[in-house]
Amino acid sequence: MNVLLFGPELFYLGMALVLFFFSLQRRVQVERTYWAALGLAAAGFVVALYCLFQNGEIFFRAYKVDLFSQIFKAALALGLFLVMMISRNLAHIEPRYHAEFFFFLTTCTLGMMMLVSSVELLTIYVALELSSYSLYILVPLRKGDGLDVEAGIKYLFIGAVSSGFMLFGLGYIFGATHSTYLSEIIPRMPELLASPIGLVGLLLTLAGLFFKLSVFPFHFWAPDVYQGGANQVVTFIATASKAAAVAVILRLAMLGAKYGYSFTQALVVLSIVSMTLGNLVAIIQKDFKRMLAYSSIAHAGYVLIGVITFQELGYASAVYYALAYLVMNFTVFMVLSEVATDGQDLKIEELAGLYSRSPLLTMSLILGIFALAGVPPSIGFTGKLLLFTSAMNEGYFWLVLIGAVNGTVSLYYYLKVVYAAYFLEPRQGPLQLSWPTKALNWTLCSAILVFGVFPDGLVELARTAVRMVL
Amino acid sequence: MDPILLGCLLCVILPLVAFGLIMIFTWRRPNLSLAISLVASTIPLIIAWTMLFKLWGIKEPLIFTFNWLVSDLVKVPFGFLIDPVSLIMLVIVATISWLIQIYSIGYMGGDPGFGRYYADLSLFAMSMLGLVISSGLLQLYVFWELVGLSSYLLIGFWYEKFSASEAGKKAFVVTRFGDVGFFMGLVFLTIFFGSLDIAGLNAAAASDKMPPWLITTSALLIFCGIAGKSAQFPIHVWLPDAMEGPTPVSALLHSATMVAAGVYLLTRIFPFMAASATAMLIILAIATLTMILSSTIGMVATDIKQVWAYSTVSQLAFMAMGLSAAGLAHGTLFAGYFHLTTHAAFKALLFLCAGAFIHHFGTNNFFVMSKEGGRKLTIPMVTVTIAALALCGIFPMAGFFSKELILGTLAHLDNKIWVLLGLFGAFLTSYYTFRVIFVMLFPRADDHPAWEQYWEEPEPHGHGHGDDAHGHGHGDAHAHDDAHGHGHGGHGDSHGVPWVMSFPLLVLAGFTLVLGFLQTPLETFLLGKSEPHEMSFVLLASAVGVALAGIGMAWLDWGRKTASWQGFIKQIPALETFFIQKWYIDHFWRWFLDTFIYGVFSKWFTYNDRRVVDGGVDAVAFSCIGGGRWLSFIQTAFLQFNLLFMVVVLAAVGIYLLMGR
Repeated sequence: MNVLLFGPELFYLGMALVLFFFSLQRRVQVERTYWAALGLAAAGFVVALYCLFQNGEIFFRAYKVDLFSQIFKAALALGLFLVMMISRNLAHIEPRYHAEFFFFLTTCTLGMMMLVSSVELLTIYVALELSSYSLYILVPLRKGDGLDVEAGIKYLFIGAVSSGFMLFGLGYIFGATHSTYLSEIIPRMPELLASPIGLVGLLLTLAGLFFKLSVFPFHFWAPDVYQGGANQVVTFIATASKAAAVAVILRLAMLGAKYGYSFTQALVVLSIVSMTLGNLVAIIQKDFKRMLAYSSIAHAGYVLIGVITFQELGYASAVYYALAYLVMNFTVFMVLSEVATDGQDLKIEELAGLYSRSPLLTMSLILGIFALAGVPPSIGFTGKLLLFTSAMNEGYFWLVLIGAVNGTVSLYYYLKVVYAAYFLEPRQGPLQLSWPTKALNWTLCSAILVFGVFPDGLVELARTAVRMVL
Repeated sequence: MDPILLGCLLCVILPLVAFGLIMIFTWRRPNLSLAISLVASTIPLIIAWTMLFKLWGIKEPLIFTFNWLVSDLVKVPFGFLIDPVSLIMLVIVATISWLIQIYSIGYMGGDPGFGRYYADLSLFAMSMLGLVISSGLLQLYVFWELVGLSSYLLIGFWYEKFSASEAGKKAFVVTRFGDVGFFMGLVFLTIFFGSLDIAGLNAAAASDKMPPWLITTSALLIFCGIAGKSAQFPIHVWLPDAMEGPTPVSALLHSATMVAAGVYLLTRIFPFMAASATAMLIILAIATLTMILSSTIGMVATDIKQVWAYSTVSQLAFMAMGLSAAGLAHGTLFAGYFHLTTHAAFKALLFLCAGAFIHHFGTNNFFVMSKEGGRKLTIPMVTVTIAALALCGIFPMAGFFSKELILGTLAHLDNKIWVLLGLFGAFLTSYYTFRVIFVMLFPRADDHPAWEQYWEEPEPHGHGHGDDAHGHGHGDAHAHDDAHGHGHGGHGDSHGVPWVMSFPLLVLAGFTLVLGFLQTPLETFLLGKSEPHEMSFVLLASAVGVALAGIGMAWLDWGRKTASWQGFIKQIPALETFFIQKWYIDHFWRWFLDTFIYGVFSKWFTYNDRRVVDGGVDAVAFSCIGGGRWLSFIQTAFLQFNLLFMVVVLAAVGIYLLMGR
């Protein structure tokens, strides 16, 4: 077996072990732990990039390494590295838990990496749970007023119920097709059209994944977890874990491709309700993270548009959008955690006068927010354009129209952030940024603009990748 | 990459980069900004001249295009069109813009907004160079508007001065007003012809592929834009006000290049425009009216820049007359284009000389300059005289050749009234030009009664009349009393004009002397052949005659020892008031704006905005908030309820799927 096929996963396994030993040490060494974690995360990203063009199947064909999975692995590695970048100041996590914090982030990444490569039902389930359980622990790791515990409990319960649904659904599919390999199941799915078993199985399976992506009606955890979790943890949930969820949904939704009208119709309804609910409720939020939680529900709806097409272009745009979302959402969260210096929950109005407190952060915030809102020439605009174009090509006029209207509605609350940053008088002094943070700011801003204006390379990569799945 | 294409790209991109760099990073550091801007204007200068020499004698135009926007109905290419017409204009723009940047080192030195000034000049260079080499009308339009924007920024450069910011606004709004017509013309052409490609348009119009009504309508609509940019009646009113900008800006934008963009567009699509005789006749009439009107106003102005501004308006009109007459008489674009070239040189020179005086004396009033000893500044005084001779069309200055050509074209028309009006305009031009020169050259004794009339008391804080020279002192409003700002506004008789300012004067004077003799090679280059111009002796004699008559008249009124310094126009007070009030056109526009725009449209649109638009937006916003509030009730703190909700929805979807199977 070529070790490179499993390269990133092995690396992160090793990284988890190293961090595990850090957590066992009696003397707490915050700085050393942080730099070790950051260095390893950076190396991990390099490894993931190095393995980008690996191709092959391992572990009795349960594990497929192709461009599709490797792109997402690189994205996940990047997500982890970025989160590590803003974890220098973990104000709301006790120093003795820092090593564990990094450890669980690593295991979560490992789980998600395995998730995007899995093509066998049980492997998918195990990988999904590995990533989920890490997050269940990370959310209540915050020291605080009990809000974190409530969030953690809620997350665990809703996650457990969704997992239950999913396991139930996987059982049905296995029962109906006598196989757990996706490659064997997909050809047999059309036979099951006549019987409800396949349909119910599929629906229940998707429930577990929709939970990860926070699609309606599995979104209840998002607002509470976003608000209750430590800023860095939420950043990770909002960026990397969403990308992984999109990847595995793209793989599994293919099971339903042949179901035709009613199945896609159900997805259409979920997509529309997700975006509408997310965007409308976001308007009345005062807490920045809670608002972003609803925005993430809305974005889950947008991504589903690409899934619904079951076509190469739609899939590619969903991949593009997932990557774009990772970058732009991270940008906003980075600003959030930089402004919330003592790790508190940030009210939107606490961004007041950010333009004078730190012009650079404000530029990143504006670019990130505008990208989320889909304003040209940002990466978010290009992503939305691709999604809408692909859906339009398949004739989903109403879906696109509602999506576009939703995009407009979303400007309402996104602009509230801009308003606070620019038009309210500052109440605090200027913010000092370290040079790595400045570099990070510039990099993210240029990424948002460059890939927004020149998306061709990335789109081509995404198209090549999704051909492996379709 | 093709070196020509690379050159074109550099011409457009370098100044843009300079603009960005200065505006974002270096605007606080004058020397660095100057260096960036100079690099970004020197390279296009070299490129432009190299291209001119390399491509001298090309027969076929070079076209580089790529598709910018493609839809099933329309294709919009962006690209560059390099042919003799654009090459010469490219050289003119690059050269004058470079000279002005050199000149401004002296003129603007010490201004608090020095960096911003050079950034704006770079922006202008980028847009004007891009305009000149555009291959399609839409692209040209984009650069056209960018030129308008940079003009706005530069006129209002001393924005803390109310009149300057007002003038900037006026220039922008008035030219935009014309551009609305231009844009409608473009839309019209796109709908009915389907392409805005310059070469394609010219070819189609020349070979009768387009219906005449289409050509006439779109030509007239496009002329609206031309009239705005090149300050033709009745929307010429912005150009005299634009003199509020720094004088080098007036020289670059408002005499030599930007205002010539309108005439340039006329030559660019000359075959297309010439295909409609109706349009040509209308343009000819408007241009003639503009010429007479502006010349008469020039006769009574006391501000040197105002005189040159009205002279610019009249000369632009003269070019338009030459072009439209050529269109009517099936002639070539050479006469108008040649005058555009020579005019760029001598008019920029006139303004730069004016700038040298203004810089030195701190006033715009040439009577004051005269009294303060203006003629002692040798280089500006000599060069301004050369330029004035060129403006009047006296041999051997460049203006002589180009004016003769235009008058010759006008004489080709069957109706001789046009050439007579042209000659009358030439007479007026000579008169008002040499009025300035004689006043400057021959100041009266200190106790002469005329001083009473033209002398203006300095303003409270020691500045001259509403001129731009005191802009030097006040980047900040509180710097008004700062003495260093207008130290050179005093009587620095001992120090002359700095060399950075006299060098451009000498270069331009050289062009003014030489350009006329390049007529034949230029014509061969532009048209591919040079036709012998049978110049009737009568016309030649009368042209030179009226010019000399104008100068003689000025001598009688302003030059000779016993001259009254009143001007013959004083004899007819009604007419003088009419001219001083600028034919009441500003009054007309004021009344028009107040009555129709503010009184009718603004009022109703405001009402509509308040009630319908705002009301509608509010309704949408409130319903969104209401919807959000209503939906947020799902998000209760009860975990059981959440889980129940999940199950119910999932069950509903499942049932739907099973039903719809």
